[in-house]
Amino acid sequence: MKTFVISLVMLLGSIASFAQPKLAPLDTSPLDISYFPENYPLLRIQQKVTQPPVARVIYSRPQKNNRSIFGGLIEYGKVWRLGANEASEVEFFQNVKINNVKVKKGRYTLYAIPNLTTWTMILNKENDIWGSYAYDAKKDIVRMDVPALKQTDISEAFGMVFEKTTNGGFNLSALWDDVKVSLPVSLQP
Amino acid sequence: MKEPETQGKADTAQLFPGNSFAAVDQSPMDISYYPPEYPQQKMSAKQPAAAPVARIIYSRPHKKGRIIFSNQEKSLVRYGEPWRLGANEATEIDFFQPVVINGNNVAAGRYVMYCIPFADRWIIALNTNVDSWGLQIDPSKDLFRTEVPVQQQKASIEDFTIVFQDATYGADILFTWDMVKIILPVSFSK
Repeated sequence: MKTFVISLVMLLGSIASFAQPKLAPLDTSPLDISYFPENYPLLRIQQKVTQPPVARVIYSRPQKNNRSIFGGLIEYGKVWRLGANEASEVEFFQNVKINNVKVKKGRYTLYAIPNLTTWTMILNKENDIWGSYAYDAKKDIVRMDVPALKQTDISEAFGMVFEKTTNGGFNLSALWDDVKVSLPVSLQP
Repeated sequence: MKEPETQGKADTAQLFPGNSFAAVDQSPMDISYYPPEYPQQKMSAKQPAAAPVARIIYSRPHKKGRIIFSNQEKSLVRYGEPWRLGANEATEIDFFQPVVINGNNVAAGRYVMYCIPFADRWIIALNTNVDSWGLQIDPSKDLFRTEVPVQQQKASIEDFTIVFQDATYGADILFTWDMVKIILPVSFSK
């Protein structure tokens, strides 16, 4: 199956390359970026922030396109790259704590194992990687189980944002279709 | 993240009413690595464990029938005025090892890259004002500026594109949009 997926990706890549040699076509799951504090780059040019940012996430945004997402397109119980294409990357610009584990500032990849009522969120130290095909649990930094919260509104595009929490930290929240999950992160001095 | 007050905001918001976060952007973000397609190659056993050399994170506006580079007032990017090399957030280039760009030494780290286009040449600047929105460039934080010639091409490119291409001395960063192509050579030890 893995080989099939890889050859399909290569086949699609070579078809696309006929039209515009060497140049990558726009992706169907475009990349996006979220910062904490939210909208940091905009606030920065408005002189509303003086501190460096705390975190950012770089991820791709697949669309629902009338498909059944969790338990369908994304199988329960299997590692998912929390997006599309490259594994999603979170960068912490200062030391943080997740599930009582100290996480040093730096870049990490993010994965999730979705299930019906809870998701396992995973922070891994293998960066610059494609998808979850080569995911290696031995390189996990921390895992945490969080509840899968049902939403009344359907989200067409997968999205991730940081939401400030009352303890001064933040949640890294992911939303797609009718599910939302939030990974709590606290700040370390 | 969406730029406020862009034309496309209403359209995309209508398409995805349920997403309380953010609609997909008109000018989607993309990422280019050197070695090219490094993350994909890392999946296969062929790829050695070495770290990537560089990557660029940028947004990809579309031509959509507009005049892109010219002296004209209605041009999207005017000659002689700084341009963020993309859309939305300032375009970011990350070097994972030291490199040399047209004689300028660059330490490993994150940088902003922007340009000042002219008909025959572009000035490309490397700047340290990272994590900022692209519309407000701060030239006082330029690390250096360098000039590269503009090449004309026969076919128009619809989506602004930045990619790395192999070169004997390291890699070329290729910028292309509409009828123009610009190559910035980057030297490093392989």
